[in-house]
Amino acid sequence: MNGVEKKTPSGLTALTNAWLGLVALTLVSLGLGQWFHGKPWLQLLVAALVWLKGHVVARRFIEVESCHPFIRRVVNGFVAVTPLALLGLAYFGAQLARWATL
Amino acid sequence: MSVVAISDRGASAETQAGWRIPGNKGIWVGISCEFVEFLVLFVVYFVSRAHFPEAFAEGGEQLSRLAGTTITLLMVSSSYCIACSVATLRAGRRRASLAWLGAGLVLALGYPLTKYFEFQWNLAHGITGDSGIFFTVYYYLTLNHLVHAVWGILGMLWVLARHLGGAYTVDDYSGLEALASYWHATDIIWLVLFSFFYVLV
Repeated sequence: MNGVEKKTPSGLTALTNAWLGLVALTLVSLGLGQWFHGKPWLQLLVAALVWLKGHVVARRFIEVESCHPFIRRVVNGFVAVTPLALLGLAYFGAQLARWATL
Repeated sequence: MSVVAISDRGASAETQAGWRIPGNKGIWVGISCEFVEFLVLFVVYFVSRAHFPEAFAEGGEQLSRLAGTTITLLMVSSSYCIACSVATLRAGRRRASLAWLGAGLVLALGYPLTKYFEFQWNLAHGITGDSGIFFTVYYYLTLNHLVHAVWGILGMLWVLARHLGGAYTVDDYSGLEALASYWHATDIIWLVLFSFFYVLV
């Protein structure tokens, strides 16, 4: 891929949609925490929302799809690590605590 | 949506294989280091939370979610404005690009301001770094992020001054795009911190 989208008004529309999506996801995640605090499946949902928000910033704002593979891997890897760690902590928290005990 | 090739001369570095490097290689060395630094800090968070799950379950309820939400909205909005600044400059609309960059800077300045009020609120409610493991980790990570955000704000001031001086054109905007990349990366990190401390799970 050797080209990028020229940012025309339609490009700004895509950025605006991404921004509105991020605002909505932020408010939704707050609401979920309030309404379903303590539910076992909430960790899964929060992890998914963390990944989705990072993915939107990476894809729409950084335009990571057209970036050099190293940059793409670094950004996508960073975006994926935290949700995976949140899930790992939710299901294997006690084991992690044992491993991390001096 | 039209797709056109952008000149690689000064716009954003382009490799022989045709992949883009937004901004320049130097900023991506910095961003990679920033990611590694925060991954280490995240390990601190996860290990602490694994050892003290109750403290982390209860700690978030004592923080100001209004402050956390405000900072999140400021960060994503500022990031959006900077992305629009790059987009409009690519489209040859320099004045619009300057306006978007200025708006991004104003919104970004709201972050340290909100953080100041949040820390005042914390102190008024007896929340300090000694209030427990959750709050020690909270101050450690969020203050670290604030430092990175201040670097980004200083970068915005520098890029805005250069932009006003006509340093960036439709063919050469690598400095603006480097700043944008750094700010988006800092935004991604904040979105993680928001879920760590302000979203109840």
